[in-house]
Amino acid sequence: MALTTDTLRIGINKITDQVDPMGAHLNELDGRLGDGDLGVTMVNGFKNIAAVSDDLPDDFGMACMDCAKAMTKVSGSSFGTLMGISLMAVAKQTKGQTEIEWDRLPDLLQAALDAMIARGGASIGDKTMLDSLTAVIAATTGKTSAQDALAAAAEAADGALIEFFDQPCKIGRARIFGDKTKGMDDPGMVAIKSMIDCFT
Amino acid sequence: MKKIMNDAVNYVDETLEGLEAAHPDVFRIDGETRRLLRKPTASVDRVGVVSGGGFGHLPIFAGYVGDGLLDACAVGDVFASPDMNPMLEAIKSADAGKGVLCVVGNYGGDKMNFAMACEFADMEDITTQQIIVNDDVASAGVDEIEKRRGVAGLVYVVKVAGAAAQAGKSLDEVYACADRARQNTRTMGVALGSCIVPQAGKVTFEIADDEIEIGMGIHGEPGVWRGKNKPADELAAELLHKLTDELDLLKGDRVSVLVNGLGATPAEELYILFRAVNRILSDKGIEIVQPLVGNYATSMEMAGASISLMKLDDELEQLLAAPAKNPFWGK
Repeated sequence: MALTTDTLRIGINKITDQVDPMGAHLNELDGRLGDGDLGVTMVNGFKNIAAVSDDLPDDFGMACMDCAKAMTKVSGSSFGTLMGISLMAVAKQTKGQTEIEWDRLPDLLQAALDAMIARGGASIGDKTMLDSLTAVIAATTGKTSAQDALAAAAEAADGALIEFFDQPCKIGRARIFGDKTKGMDDPGMVAIKSMIDCFT
Repeated sequence: MKKIMNDAVNYVDETLEGLEAAHPDVFRIDGETRRLLRKPTASVDRVGVVSGGGFGHLPIFAGYVGDGLLDACAVGDVFASPDMNPMLEAIKSADAGKGVLCVVGNYGGDKMNFAMACEFADMEDITTQQIIVNDDVASAGVDEIEKRRGVAGLVYVVKVAGAAAQAGKSLDEVYACADRARQNTRTMGVALGSCIVPQAGKVTFEIADDEIEIGMGIHGEPGVWRGKNKPADELAAELLHKLTDELDLLKGDRVSVLVNGLGATPAEELYILFRAVNRILSDKGIEIVQPLVGNYATSMEMAGASISLMKLDDELEQLLAAPAKNPFWGK
């Protein structure tokens, strides 16, 4: 089965169902390093997306555009903006298409990653969600079904958290804390992992 | 905190409502989030000019909506970028089929959100260009000029872009004029006292009674040095030195000078500063045309001032002098 706007709706529902406890946990994590608004951004962002979910068009790209717009309607954490940038990058790749084969997932995630690097200013290795995404892209390459792709993604997101746990954050507000961030999970990386976990 | 306000949550919206009520012929609140300020009547058959940014800097950004200035402006919270939705609304409302120029201050959130809004506009077949304003010489060295923040120099870029669009120039031409204004403008400021973001409720930074900070940003970003206050003439000389140096100003050059108050500094002191600037530039044989003295780009109730210079050529001088309909521009 290919990836369609209906698949997107199922995904939105799954995340929205669990976003409140997820948000509370992320706020707490983010409060130790940043301004503690990551969870709020996630909760409000996904509630905005859920509100437009029924009206999403069959054109997968246009559906991603509408999601991007809805996600960015939250002020606060730059995470919301970066999610919007990601969705938009995927929208550009899929505009005019209604069915996306699962083996294209790594390419679409790569487009999202490239856009976030270009717009957000962080690099691979800075201990951000970009590192989680890099791991997920590598792990999902060659996977042809949703089930295989999601299982590989979950494992890769876990692996990235473990790999970067003892490294310092190198960008954003967390950078100020320097070596104190060794032994702490990056909240954005946890957000990626939590979102993937909603599907498994 | 002592402010004239109702609920801090409504600070921005109630200010916009006041602006619209006082100047209904200039300002109209619009947009799904009511964070779009635009002209009551859209421009026809010409390039649109928009801006957007955090609030708390009036007249910049939203205050400069008006004929000959901005067509529309996206409004954020105090010292926080608007999200990309009001930016996209601003672009769409300003588009008259000839494209839209976005004047953006060089701040992470503003840049990221405008970049996204422009991509959305592109998908809806609206052509856009962006000018990223980076006039604050204190915020980074010449070797990292692209990292400099946009401060009071935004006023010059907005005025030049607005006048060029009003004159019927194409998007590329409006961009070229605005970009020349950007490249020819430098600013340096001094802070004497802090400000309070309404929803934060406490001062953004502490500074001793007898201290000043040279080069502080308009959100309290750290400056070049902090120390004892100095006589106005010495301050003017210090602030000006870097500007004239970087702009390569020579005898016979013409400049516009903007002596800008940050919010809490009286007009009297701005004129004392202008007097000193005038003397220094006159001694060098540099001619001042169209001086601007007053509050143009503020930081809430921050005390202090900035000096901006825009080196003029004939076209920039004309565009600066062109009429504009706006309560803050004043001519």
